[in-house]
Amino acid sequence: MTGPIARAMPKSVLKYASLSAVALIVAYPFYFMVSNSFKDLFEATTVPPTLFPSVFHPENYVKAWEAAPWARYFANTAFVAITTTLGEVVTAVLAAYAFARLEFRGRTVLFGVFLATLMIPSEATLIPNYIMMSKRGLGGFGLGWYDTYQVQIVPFLASVFSIFLLRQFFLSIPRELSDAARIDGAGHLRFLWSIVLPLSVPSLVTVSLFSFIGSWNSLLWPLIMTSVPEYRPVQLGLSAFRQEAGNSYHLLLAAATFTIAPIVLLYLVAQRHLIQGVARSGMKG
Amino acid sequence: MRVKAALLATLMVIASACSSAAPAPLTSALSTDADIDLTAPTAITLWHGLSGSQQKALDELVAEFNATNGKKITVTALLQGNYTQLYQKTLGAIQAGSLPELAHAYESFVADYTKAGVVVDLGPYVASKKNGLSDKDDIYKPYFDTNTFPQFGNKLLSFPFSKSMFVMYVNDDMLKAKGLKTPQTWDEFDKAVQALTIKDAAGKTTQYGWAVPLGASDFNAWVLSRGGNLMSADQKTVAWNGKEGVEAVRIIDRLVKGGYAQVPKGYDYQNDFGAGKLAFFMGSTSTRPFIKDAIKGPLNWSIAQIPQTDPAKAHTVQYGANVAVLKSTPEKQLASWLFVKWFNDKERTAKWATTSYYMPARKTAAESALLKEYWAKTDTQGKQAFDLLATTVPEPNVRGQQDIRDVIQDALTAVTAGKSTPEDAMKTAGDKANAILKDNQ
Amino acid sequence: MTVQVRAEGPSRRNARRRRRIGEHLWAYGLLAPVIVILGVFKIFPAFYAFYISLFRWDIIQGAFRGLGNYGDILYENPTRAEAFWRSLSTTFTYGLFTVPLEMGLALVVAFLLFGKLRGRGVYRTLYYLPYVTSTVAAAVIFNWLFHPQYGIANAILGLVGVGPQKWYDEPRGLFELAASAAGVALPDWAAGPSLALVGICAFSIWHYFGYQVIIFLAGLGNISNEYYEAARLDGASERQVFRLITLPLLSPTTFFVFTIATIGVLREFNAFYILTNGGPLDTTRTTGLLVFKTFYQQGQLGLGSAVAFLLALAILAFTLTQQRVLASRVTYE
Repeated sequence: MTGPIARAMPKSVLKYASLSAVALIVAYPFYFMVSNSFKDLFEATTVPPTLFPSVFHPENYVKAWEAAPWARYFANTAFVAITTTLGEVVTAVLAAYAFARLEFRGRTVLFGVFLATLMIPSEATLIPNYIMMSKRGLGGFGLGWYDTYQVQIVPFLASVFSIFLLRQFFLSIPRELSDAARIDGAGHLRFLWSIVLPLSVPSLVTVSLFSFIGSWNSLLWPLIMTSVPEYRPVQLGLSAFRQEAGNSYHLLLAAATFTIAPIVLLYLVAQRHLIQGVARSGMKG
Repeated sequence: MRVKAALLATLMVIASACSSAAPAPLTSALSTDADIDLTAPTAITLWHGLSGSQQKALDELVAEFNATNGKKITVTALLQGNYTQLYQKTLGAIQAGSLPELAHAYESFVADYTKAGVVVDLGPYVASKKNGLSDKDDIYKPYFDTNTFPQFGNKLLSFPFSKSMFVMYVNDDMLKAKGLKTPQTWDEFDKAVQALTIKDAAGKTTQYGWAVPLGASDFNAWVLSRGGNLMSADQKTVAWNGKEGVEAVRIIDRLVKGGYAQVPKGYDYQNDFGAGKLAFFMGSTSTRPFIKDAIKGPLNWSIAQIPQTDPAKAHTVQYGANVAVLKSTPEKQLASWLFVKWFNDKERTAKWATTSYYMPARKTAAESALLKEYWAKTDTQGKQAFDLLATTVPEPNVRGQQDIRDVIQDALTAVTAGKSTPEDAMKTAGDKANAILKDNQ
Repeated sequence: MTVQVRAEGPSRRNARRRRRIGEHLWAYGLLAPVIVILGVFKIFPAFYAFYISLFRWDIIQGAFRGLGNYGDILYENPTRAEAFWRSLSTTFTYGLFTVPLEMGLALVVAFLLFGKLRGRGVYRTLYYLPYVTSTVAAAVIFNWLFHPQYGIANAILGLVGVGPQKWYDEPRGLFELAASAAGVALPDWAAGPSLALVGICAFSIWHYFGYQVIIFLAGLGNISNEYYEAARLDGASERQVFRLITLPLLSPTTFFVFTIATIGVLREFNAFYILTNGGPLDTTRTTGLLVFKTFYQQGQLGLGSAVAFLLALAILAFTLTQQRVLASRVTYE
């Protein structure tokens, strides 16, 4: 009796120990951020760092919040991320439905072209898009979108990745369902709305989460296409605050904490969908 | 697309022909522009990079101008973020063809904007009998020098706006404790830094004498202070790669490696200085408010000239940004100029100096009662800095200077990191900088 | 009979044709938004980028240069050519020090996590957390962890008797520093990645490995239990099972992760932009950052487009080769 246990114990202990060690390393930066965001500057710059603030300074958050137009940054980001997500999911659903459920000439070629666009790195399209969207007047094929919301939304309303994932799922919906719907006289939109979509809620959630997180965390494009706080997202706000805060590290960490808080909360609530989505995307390899 | 390209190319040829080959008619055309009358209301926009209290100070002056100019001119000042953002935003606006009338800009920005053909030559405006500057000599000459661009026909393309200079910040208490005077030469400085460094028994430095951020302007100032030049006379090659440059790098190299000077990360040194844990650093006069914020206890500190080879012929770098008038309509251009002129008149420049921590543009500003009182009561160091104004020399305003600054910074980093000797670093950097200048001709 | 067919034929064919036309209208109608957006913001710009790269485009469009910009970048202009080749080598080094470590760690962790394990969900959630955290905020933290004076990284090095390092400000190479501590001077080619780049690698591994753990876990879950049972019946040791069953059958997943990871490496921008912006001494200027610098900081849109185009070609070439070479070694179930 004792034999197997003794043999099994060290092994599982080792397993837990190594997993926990990795977890500790992964979690430490977060812990460090939160803990230092409550210290005063003096304690935050103590070597070696104290594990726990000796005096709590929640007013750091107030100071950091007041030092920059965060409310505006958050509103911008939320608006852009939500609009982008909704729009992208709608276009992806429509396109995925067409690819999965309709017979039409050019389907294979078009799908191939879509997949090929994944190979165009965003660096390559950065400069032409910058020129195109800064210029005014369609005569010079310009959109005049510098410093706007649409510049952060419209180009991202089509995601090949989302189309791909949804198409995969739509293909798995049994043919009989659509045949039955057609016999009942339902058109494509009716069928899509009342049968396909309710069935694909988990997939839709996954796709939306990806889109939302991607939009929330985007940096390079808004950096180039916006310049004023009225349109800038929270990531750029934090990046700018890094320079303005100068040596006020404790305030900087407080700001970092509240900029990632919403996404971390969303993740903790919806992580099951997200992780399943990632796992599924990996299965196409 | 090809038609458009051809059209653009033609336009550019015409534009460049206008600006270079035929200066005479253009000047006369502009001088009439400078003499027109403003009757209808004129609205102009100013893009700037001043935030916080400086933004407030600017807004206050703008409001005063709008209320008192008597010519129905309305200026709107819009903050565009920090200088980099301001620059990028203006470049974007050049692409878009939707420029403001006035742009706050460093000299190298102005050079880029001029290259794109959007900057108004201020020469005719300054010279205009009706709207010009009658007391030009009262404005410090270095301010004209820095805004006159040899690369663009020696035209005056911008005007002083938020000016500062490169100076030395000194912890007087520490000097006094050791019985030292403020160092005037590099040798004295060298000794003072060593004397004010504290090392523990193991020889490890616990307190540095000098915090030396590695910046291009810092280096330029050191070269000037040793009697060197930054550019050759024809402005086609750099001149800082000579013996003055090598010496400037050598002293940093030696003091850093000896544990007397430290290359700080970010703005840490301001905290150290404020806490009385640092004897010297050099930097812009506009660092004053940050130092005042960082000071926690009683501390006697001052602003002094940076060390020199010959203190009688002292030189340092003139820092800070200017304002350029961008091409629009004759009326708006004139209105913009009138604002710029007003902003730099005696009273305003004095007031600006009391609210923004920037340097006044005029010599007679020192006579202003407002400024005198401010210096005496709240900003002793501001006066100390003002007294050094005549020794400032502008940094090069050629195109490519922004890249050259990176080259200089890399050279300094390479030496302090032990990747290169001062001689090699200066040679490589000089070659690189000259290649950049050639690229940008 | 034949008459009847002929009589009915056209109307039925018409109906079918009408249905087919209808189906086409539907299909292209549904696809229209995506076609327009991809066309305008992705496909057209790719061609436009090439057009721009043929001009001297110095803030505004200038003279036509043909392939002159490419010539400058590849060999003609010493400064630009050096910067370009160096950026490629930096990108490559970054990949070399990130991808294998990241994947190795992810594989081991996934393997440990696989199977019945209490708290598995908690671990998984935690490992994936850095991936959803924005790079800007994460980089702010890392800048602090690797701070030359106050950072914990130096505190840990101090425990094992190594002096404080400057990390993101340190242009000297990893091997160079190690060797100089031992009193040996290394030539430049052997200096290794700068400590700044090493710091970014550490950041990347932390940021991305959780994503790979999830995919590896899914891959492990996909391997049918029959193989394991058969192997155990044959008396294979656990190490043998791992080497002979798990690894080969996991190879499609490994291949997928490798592809994603390398493309990620070639395109990483945010971490570099926030942590070093290419410095110190250009030791962390990857090609993506070089595009950004040339275009955005120097206002050279033509040259920048040319660099971007070369980067796109490099990514394409790399992906294709990798598919060729690796796909043949992948074992499918």
